[in-house]
Amino acid sequence: MGRKVNVLGVGMVKFQKPGASDGYEVMAKGAITDALKDAGIDFTKVEQAYAGYVFGDSTCGQRAVYSVGTTGIPVINVNNNCSTGSTALFLARQAIEGGLAECVLAVGFEQMQKGALASTWNDRTNPLDKHVDVMNAEQGVNQAPFAAQMFGGAAREYRWKYGTKKETFAKISEKARKHAAKNPFALFREVLSVEQIMASDEVFDPLTRFQCCPPTCGAAAAILCSDEFAKKHGLKPAVNIAGQVMTTDFASSFDGHSMTKMIGYDMAKSAADQLYEKTGTGPKDVQVVELHDCFTANELLTYEAIGLCPEGGAEKFIWDDDNTYGGKFVVNPSGGLLSKGHPLGATGLAQCTELVWHLRGTAGERQVPNAKVALQHNLGLGGACVMTMYKKN
Amino acid sequence: MGSELRFDGKVVVITGAGAGLGRSHALFFGKRGAQVVVNDLGGSATGGGKSSAAADKVVEEIKAAGGKAVANYDSVEDGDKIVKTAIDSFGRLDVLINNAGILRDVSFQKMTKEDWDLIFRVHVNGAFRCSHAAWPIMREQGYGRIIFTTSAAGIYGNFGQANYSAAKLALVGLSNTLAVEGEKKNVLVNAIAPIAASRLTETVLPKDMLENLKPEYVTPLVAWLAHDSCKENGGLYEVGGGYFGKLRWERTEGKLFKLGREISPEAVRGAWDDVTNWKKATHPGNITESLSTVMSNLSTKSKGGNEFIDVDQALGYELPELESSYDERDLALYALGVGAGKTPGDVKDLHLVYERNGDGFYSLPTYGVVPALNAIFKMAAEGQTAPGLNYGLDRILHGEQYLEVMRPLPPKATLKHKARISEISDKGKHAVVVTHLDSYDAETGELLVKNDVSMVVKGAGGWGGERGAANEAPPAPERAPDAVITEKTSESQALLYRLSGDWNPLHVDPEFATMFGFEKPILHGLCTFGYAGRAVVTAFAKGDPRTFKSIKVRFADSVFPGETLKIEMWKETDLKILLRASVVERNKVVLSNGVVEFYPEIPKPRAKEAPKAAAAAAAPAGLTTSAAFEGIGAYVSAHPELTKEVGVVYQFKIKKPDSAWIVDLKAGVVKAGTVEKAECTLELSDSDWLDMVTGKADPMKLFQGGKLKISGNVMASQKLGFLKKIERPASSALSPTLSPAGERETVAISAAMTFEGIGAYVAKTPDLVKQVNMVYQFKLSSPDSAWVLDLKAGAVKAGTVEKADCTLALSNSDWLDMVSGKADPMKLFQGGKLKITGNVMASQKLDFLKKIDKSSMPTASASAAAAPAASASAPDSAEVIAPKVFKALQERLAKNPGLAKEVDAVIAFKVKDAGFEFTAELKGGSPSVKPGFDAKAGTRITLTDEALAALAKGESAQSLFQHGQLRVDGELAPAHRLGFLKQLV
Repeated sequence: MGRKVNVLGVGMVKFQKPGASDGYEVMAKGAITDALKDAGIDFTKVEQAYAGYVFGDSTCGQRAVYSVGTTGIPVINVNNNCSTGSTALFLARQAIEGGLAECVLAVGFEQMQKGALASTWNDRTNPLDKHVDVMNAEQGVNQAPFAAQMFGGAAREYRWKYGTKKETFAKISEKARKHAAKNPFALFREVLSVEQIMASDEVFDPLTRFQCCPPTCGAAAAILCSDEFAKKHGLKPAVNIAGQVMTTDFASSFDGHSMTKMIGYDMAKSAADQLYEKTGTGPKDVQVVELHDCFTANELLTYEAIGLCPEGGAEKFIWDDDNTYGGKFVVNPSGGLLSKGHPLGATGLAQCTELVWHLRGTAGERQVPNAKVALQHNLGLGGACVMTMYKKN
Repeated sequence: MGSELRFDGKVVVITGAGAGLGRSHALFFGKRGAQVVVNDLGGSATGGGKSSAAADKVVEEIKAAGGKAVANYDSVEDGDKIVKTAIDSFGRLDVLINNAGILRDVSFQKMTKEDWDLIFRVHVNGAFRCSHAAWPIMREQGYGRIIFTTSAAGIYGNFGQANYSAAKLALVGLSNTLAVEGEKKNVLVNAIAPIAASRLTETVLPKDMLENLKPEYVTPLVAWLAHDSCKENGGLYEVGGGYFGKLRWERTEGKLFKLGREISPEAVRGAWDDVTNWKKATHPGNITESLSTVMSNLSTKSKGGNEFIDVDQALGYELPELESSYDERDLALYALGVGAGKTPGDVKDLHLVYERNGDGFYSLPTYGVVPALNAIFKMAAEGQTAPGLNYGLDRILHGEQYLEVMRPLPPKATLKHKARISEISDKGKHAVVVTHLDSYDAETGELLVKNDVSMVVKGAGGWGGERGAANEAPPAPERAPDAVITEKTSESQALLYRLSGDWNPLHVDPEFATMFGFEKPILHGLCTFGYAGRAVVTAFAKGDPRTFKSIKVRFADSVFPGETLKIEMWKETDLKILLRASVVERNKVVLSNGVVEFYPEIPKPRAKEAPKAAAAAAAPAGLTTSAAFEGIGAYVSAHPELTKEVGVVYQFKIKKPDSAWIVDLKAGVVKAGTVEKAECTLELSDSDWLDMVTGKADPMKLFQGGKLKISGNVMASQKLGFLKKIERPASSALSPTLSPAGERETVAISAAMTFEGIGAYVAKTPDLVKQVNMVYQFKLSSPDSAWVLDLKAGAVKAGTVEKADCTLALSNSDWLDMVSGKADPMKLFQGGKLKITGNVMASQKLDFLKKIDKSSMPTASASAAAAPAASASAPDSAEVIAPKVFKALQERLAKNPGLAKEVDAVIAFKVKDAGFEFTAELKGGSPSVKPGFDAKAGTRITLTDEALAALAKGESAQSLFQHGQLRVDGELAPAHRLGFLKQLV
């Protein structure tokens, strides 16, 4: 459509447990500084900044960016629930693709509290009320954390249809831990077995504790630039954004009488279909994927939604190890949200950072061999789904 | 275990820190990160002189070790200046260690005024000044630790240290009160009595001992007590040479004289063993506990007594139970003893003396006195008598006897006797002590005989006590008797009678008799008693003793064996005979005021009686704490004068389950919750409260037993006596009734009580508002009511709000079921019985309701404490269906073995809440449905009984699965084929 957008630099900080991290502005500074260094530019070259975060007062983005420099550039604060990071990336890409800027920063950070996600404002309509209504109707409302009920409910729906074993879901966490063991930025790096995962406390059948991502603190950043900018400054970005699509809820999220649709299956499927069409590249050309594994259930469903395996084929896909090294794809080499952690604002940009490293060949121990095309899927209830495809320059 | 105790950021002031203990403390705190104020006047150990050298040296030592410290040279009498140094240097003060001290040891005789005053000035006034200056700072910041250094000399006394020991114990008193005053503000105060080598002990302890008594052995306790993680308060410790110990006061139970009678020094002396009996001791820890004993005594008055009889102790005393047995032989012997069978060939008395008599063998009813009295004699012989009865046999006379049989005594029986001192009367010169005995058949528990043994205690009266009832038994009438029987007793009558059990030598030994003032052995009064009973039976019952009910006589004079008894009888009514017995030879009345009563017909033996022991009144079934307070509230409203009389606001804190209630007798209102300012706060467990309110437990006893804690104005708790006047709330009045048909008759008040209960929980759980922060509107129907559960403001009230975050609508009975745990909110919701509108997710935050103890909530169905008998009449609303399904499935399979081909799976079912498991092997050649959960089954289903019932009704397994009510492990596909459960029941 518009101009080519390169990923010039990326950076992230090690993710931490709630209460154990530096303040959001310190983490963001760390990520931005690393991205600038990686990009080979200083902050004065950045023309716009999109700062993504969910929890915090207004203008946390400025506070984060000011700790790096106060150059008076436009700073836009962005939130889209769990897909905040990719949404910041989306806006940054749009600005360049549309010819409105040459070099843009997208940063995402989150300083979270312990415990499950809960709403903050109780005096106004909850933005997820329609989603909750669907859940209400399908399976009632329980005392478990609501996100777990939603995705767990989708798992039940899927299980009923295809007879999936509970172990299949647990196996996804086993993979996540195995991958995270090699990722120094990840929160949980201890390897776990399927049995251990199954044995952990039940959160919402069939999801056990180790099948749910933890609240996390972290930050990640990406610097995007146009070809012109790169040329002007003698820089050679290795990776470009081949395509990016964002979708929000369709009517089917609310009138589909389905937990699976309510949690964004159709959003993901549509975004993926549009992306593959736009880029002319399909899953079979992809080697490495970072997708939104907030719960094992969502990873399983996403395999099918974005076409990594046929519908109903997820169980086989998983037990055939086609989602890890030696298989068809390496899904979530970083350890994913499950093991790396999920600081809402940062996740989308951390996924970007990981995938860029693989395409550059600098992913170290985790390196996916021959990575040429990378696929990113970032989903937020409410909702939004952003899918991005990266290719080597 | 655990981390190092550090004092980073804390400011510690230590007085007298130039040497010895103070220096040891200062160095230590300095090492552990504290900012230290090293105070030392620099004077001598006896208080003379001053110098800055001592403090400066220690400051240097602290700094050299890397710590922070400043010196202060003021005298502790200028404590404000020392505190000022802390504030000026470091900006705050956290810990004060009152350690400075001097010695002026000298025997009391030689002690000068200066010796005394100086010691007090340094130790006591100094610690006062320092603590007083630190106090407002610590209270304001809500944190402080103060340690006083006392001494064993003060605790125990030490020769030559009158001044020092007085001053040191004064510090303990100061420490105790500051601990009470500072508690609420987290200013905690303790006292230590150290033993260590220092200038003060140099002259007192031997050198080699001193070497091992390092001040460093005391400092660890000071550091622990001064640390913010230590919550000790008001403690007194001895420490030194490796030893660490805590002290408390011990107090004997002592002697409690009832008030209202003279307490003489002799009585005190007499009770000295009790006063000093350490075997029964308690450890009061505060003034309230200490006063409770005295105060509890204030409200009860003595019933009087003297050296012979202590009415308070003896009256009502229950003697230990005794058992005895008798058989035909005893009955026959007794009959002979009271004159039956005088003429052996005479068939008239055969039924009394011949156990195989064809026409029947009956006991004389008066025999009933024998086993009972023998039991008492036995106990007396073993030294078991009621306490408070201090007189010998020489003082007592059998005054009167009353006996009642419930039915004819069986020919043989084992009896249980329960005796108690039932009456004590002051008749002026003499006293009368009545012992009541109940004799039960040991096997059946049936009451057989009652006896009242009335003894006159000569010269023991005159304490001004109650005279007691006048004798009801009427004297003999003026008119001529309706029947007279004359019988001569034999000379050996006493010898025969005594074989029934009264071995008193008075009746047999001539020497013994004369000692007691009788010219010769006398006949047992009860023997004459037996003669009288026989006479009445002969004259008015044709010799058949079986309708005999009771007899009462007064013993007027003695009978000598061999004398002739003349028994005169007057028929008052068919069932009541008056009698008088006299001795013919001396024309003396020996039995007067006699009455005998008969039953209209022979009483039958009673069916097995419930054990008397269970007679204790149980609390009315279903009485709840909230109902009790409601009852009190109603009483308070109805008695406005209470507010004038009492005028106190009481806070009740009930525990397990927790609730709080205000009995405001200023405003005249009773409600759930807590007040900021209650004059008097009472804390006790829920069960003790219910016992108290139903009269089962005495508040004073609860108090003494430590089960009832009273704080604030303890005396005000005395005014709660009005609670006794309130008629025990009947369970029916306030809890919903359950009709036998099992229908629920719900009353709006029940929902009110549940919300009160929730309100009470909310009031005492302030975190709830932080966690939930929602306003819920409850709309109940049939009957209609509306309630607001405001978890923003933390209040529960009736009514509606404009803006509720979440509204829940359900019927009143469903609400009551939900709140009592009978119904699951999720099920109500799915069943459409509970409608939630608004912020549905907010309804999730209502799970705290589960934490409120159900037993504190009244239930709509059978009252919570209903005895099993009661609930047997109320059918349980949910019958377990699993076993029925199992059976029906077996039958279906038997009728249709093709089921196995259709289902083609082995499915194990675990119906958790019904505790029932079965496995349906619907596969292969020999399908079966067996009990038990086959863990190897291909498909393993866990579900609730209700879910199983739903499946049997034909409801969708998928829906149950989605809702989480049906869980599948293993092969899931067969769960699609559960149609075989349809229509089974």
